[in-house]
Amino acid sequence: MPERARSNGLSWVLGLLLLAGLIMLPRVVTLSQQELLVFLVINVLLVASYRLLTLTGEWSLAHVVIMGVGAYGSALMAKELAFPVPLAMLAGASIAALIAFLLSFPLFRMKGFYFLIGSFAAGEVIRLIWKWSELTWLFGGPKGIKLIPPFPDIEVLSIDFYDPVNYYYLCLIVVAIALLILYRIERSRIGLTFHAIHWQDKLAESVGVNTFGYRMLAFVIASFFAGLAGALYAHYVGTVNPNRFNVEEMVYVLIWAIVGGTATFYGPILGVVVLTILNEIVLRALGIDEMRPLLYGAILILFILFLPKGLESLVPKARNWLAGRKAKRQGSERPTEAKLPAE
Amino acid sequence: MPTKFKPSVMNRRQFLSTTAMATLMAGLPLQKFAFGADKVVKIGFLAPLTGAVAAWGKPGLDGCKIWADWVNEAGGIKIGDEAHKVEFVAYDDEYDPGKARTGAVKLIKQDGVKFIMMLGGDPWPGVFPVAQKEEMLVSTLLPSDLTPETTMLVAPCEVHPIYNVTGVEWLAENKPELKTAVICAQDDSLGKPSVATYLAAFEAAGIKVLGDPIFFDPATTDFAPIMSKMLGLKPDIICLDTCYTDYVHPLTEQAFQQGFKGQLISCTADFYPKMIDKTSKEFMEGFIFQFPDFDDPALNEPQINFKNPKGFFEEYKKRFGEGEWSAVSWEYASIMNLWSDAAQKAGTADPKPVLEAMKAGGKGKHIFGEAEWWGKDLFGIDNALVGFWPVVVIEDGKAKIKQYKSIPAWWAKHKDLMIKHMTALNQMYFQRK
Amino acid sequence: MTPELFLQTVVNATYAASYMALIAVGLVLIFGVMGVINFAHGELYMAGAYAVVALYADLGVPFFVAVAVGLLFVGALGLLMEYGLFRPLRDNPLGGLIASIGFLLILQTIAVLMFGVHMEHVPPSTQGKLAFANGVVLTYQRLYVILAATIAVLMFGVHMEHVPPSTQGKLAFANGVVLTYQRLYVILAAVILLSALWLFLRKSKFGWALRACAQDREAAALQGMSINSTARIAMFIGAALAGVAGALTAPLVSPTPFMGDPVIITAFIIIIVGGIGSLEGAVLAAILYAFVNTFVTTIYDGTLANIVGLLLMLIVLIVKPTGLFGAKERA
Repeated sequence: MPERARSNGLSWVLGLLLLAGLIMLPRVVTLSQQELLVFLVINVLLVASYRLLTLTGEWSLAHVVIMGVGAYGSALMAKELAFPVPLAMLAGASIAALIAFLLSFPLFRMKGFYFLIGSFAAGEVIRLIWKWSELTWLFGGPKGIKLIPPFPDIEVLSIDFYDPVNYYYLCLIVVAIALLILYRIERSRIGLTFHAIHWQDKLAESVGVNTFGYRMLAFVIASFFAGLAGALYAHYVGTVNPNRFNVEEMVYVLIWAIVGGTATFYGPILGVVVLTILNEIVLRALGIDEMRPLLYGAILILFILFLPKGLESLVPKARNWLAGRKAKRQGSERPTEAKLPAE
Repeated sequence: MPTKFKPSVMNRRQFLSTTAMATLMAGLPLQKFAFGADKVVKIGFLAPLTGAVAAWGKPGLDGCKIWADWVNEAGGIKIGDEAHKVEFVAYDDEYDPGKARTGAVKLIKQDGVKFIMMLGGDPWPGVFPVAQKEEMLVSTLLPSDLTPETTMLVAPCEVHPIYNVTGVEWLAENKPELKTAVICAQDDSLGKPSVATYLAAFEAAGIKVLGDPIFFDPATTDFAPIMSKMLGLKPDIICLDTCYTDYVHPLTEQAFQQGFKGQLISCTADFYPKMIDKTSKEFMEGFIFQFPDFDDPALNEPQINFKNPKGFFEEYKKRFGEGEWSAVSWEYASIMNLWSDAAQKAGTADPKPVLEAMKAGGKGKHIFGEAEWWGKDLFGIDNALVGFWPVVVIEDGKAKIKQYKSIPAWWAKHKDLMIKHMTALNQMYFQRK
Repeated sequence: MTPELFLQTVVNATYAASYMALIAVGLVLIFGVMGVINFAHGELYMAGAYAVVALYADLGVPFFVAVAVGLLFVGALGLLMEYGLFRPLRDNPLGGLIASIGFLLILQTIAVLMFGVHMEHVPPSTQGKLAFANGVVLTYQRLYVILAATIAVLMFGVHMEHVPPSTQGKLAFANGVVLTYQRLYVILAAVILLSALWLFLRKSKFGWALRACAQDREAAALQGMSINSTARIAMFIGAALAGVAGALTAPLVSPTPFMGDPVIITAFIIIIVGGIGSLEGAVLAAILYAFVNTFVTTIYDGTLANIVGLLLMLIVLIVKPTGLFGAKERA
């Protein structure tokens, strides 16, 4: 259900603190962690765009492949057709949106688990086409494409985008704008219609809502941003190959979204941030790489057993706890008033 | 047999320092090296350590640990005037270019490594911009990673797929009555260039390849249809190309079960005793491949650049179990031999001088003997160390090195054929995207 | 294509269909009863294979004993999953999916730690084979898999019932007690007599209990049926089937800790295309997929076979969006 709007001054302060934190972040982490930050920001966009799709109740397994469509598209435009990179990125994202548009027709005949598998099959066909050796001249075959042109440096301001810190800021700006758009869509009438389709699709149809059209809209918008994420990835790492967009990666997106929580906009974002930090930083620091998958699996199980509503369910609990402490400090005897209603 | 869980890196460090202290106190004749500062040179190991491709990385790290222990026990490497202990810093790239890039940044800029050993493949293009900018020396097991731009990438051990020509040449010389062949391979970045090599080698040897090479999906588990197809063409020779072990075994079994009576040739035949179990000693007699057992006496010949291969093999089996041994287990260690030799010659561990020392005179100490720095025609850059390679044949249930053959010699006679077939399969460096 | 090659390909395809059917039937039982996507099903298959590796290849235990132990062991793993993961998450199917992924990672890592990352080589339990005319060959090793699959299919899928749709989709299963009793004895007589008796006793109640639980859990509970024990049985049998598939194919493939990865996706495609909850559909889809894949592989190449197989499944879903035998759209 839609999250409650917060309009007090506190949220402005928190927002500014968050912004300041994000800006300062690259300065306080190690060099390799700066690299991780770039990938993290890109994945935030990926998972937030996935959320838009799941608002209509459809869980697709083609999302990472569509990210790949954006990546491959942007890479080919920039490398083969000499598009300037920013334009290539937008072109790649548009191609991803177009593919989603075309896929809507066969795929939205299916619902639920059928759609899940149908979307997987469609995505995998695309991925196998990239991989097919007969098409190496076009997509690079199993080895994919390398030497993808990087984002052009801004000579005037001597900003070099090879530097992860600079690329991080670039991605931050792009992703922030994208998140803003996605959030606004979710909160708008369109977003409400998505919810309606999810929960009461027959009812919605009976009042004249074009469920197919709205599903397609969600799919296309989500795919545009997934494609954009792919393009951002491609021009940073400089290489794309079919394995990078396989079902394993898609499963990670599912994990982030579900473990983070599906009730709020920030749920999946919370999921990707916490799980990435756990997997790439905490678990690697333990120095026993062999055990990492086991520990990650165990953490997943613990999270889902003890936080079935996702990590986002911790937020109101934290708020309550903070409010409770504030009330205590103020000597107030009205804990019920300080306690915020549960989500 | 099931292997036990291995001790963590911390225990290994404790082991090293204890050993160093013990040797010091035992007063062994190591006084020529200075001990006080106990200098350390760090080597990066950037390869898949978890996941489906781990079999190409993790056993290599294990082998390097034995190498490091031996070298450090003997006092370390003398670089400049000081003895340096060798320490490996590993990063699991999970065969992904993005993670490999992160790993490269950490290894180079935070851990201060002087040399990075990689498996290569998909991750390499992700590492390339960083390695190039930081001027880090990197080694790969996959020569197909080499391109004209990769000046500080070397492929000093595996010269896949070129070494496959040696097996075919030996076959043609020793069994001239065999005239026809069929080839199958998995459809991936290893299978294709290898097929081109075998096609060139067969053509050079005057052996006719029947039909087109058969490419199968790497996810195949059922090889009966493929073998049926190949047997349908009635060849003298069945070539398994560079199929991974989990294809070689079922394919060979299928050949046995479907009644093949001819010659099998393959690049690898890991765990061939198990293949014999699944088929028979008679069936496997004469099977030709390219990777020797490390207790083969022919590895003790003077030109071989690997100290005590049998002992290394025994130690590896002891620590990690017989099941884990494969070619990967020794290849990275042999690269370390080359590197440490070059570092000692250069007097420094810094990447650029070491690379120069490695390539001095256009020749280098490959594990199987002195070799040339080679590759301009195929890769656009002479950064592959290519010389002799053993031809191994199974005789009476045991793999025996029959001959070390020279790859440059073959190349000098037949390079046009190789280039022709590589171009036809889009495997030349200038044909890749 | 020569007649010999054609026949051989048919034989090969039958074998491929068999082990896929075993895995798919197991998966559909779990999916149909518990409504949860068990991503770890491929690892249950892997566990069955490793049971044979450890017992038969390493310790020399007789092959069929190893298979039997593998069946029980993997069945027990299934029970563990049911109790520890799926039961607490019964109302949270997405959560069950996540938990199964977590379990998948744990099982894979345990296999790596216990056995290493390399692949295993299990000697064949028999070198015998059936040689048909024209050089067409079917080894006994493969025949076992085909027989097991046939038995499982007949046991669980002779008469398919179509239950009115519920929120969990529908479940179809065996009817005709006489027939199943005979088949049951055939398969279990080779394993352990006691479990045969126990399973048989359960069998007739099992079918009805499954149907009731699938329709309306609360009502079934009110009627005195134990949802927990129904779920447990479904999970045990479903897991055991995957385990048997792994155990029987262990000498035919090279077991690695990651051998479950390609299997799970194909299995899910098969059961969805077959129609959720329909065992008959799963079997048919398995046969369809295996035959198409095997024939295209033999005639052209593997990647094309995968593309064609997927396109075919996609077309089935487009034409019949609820699968071959799936229920109509729910109201």
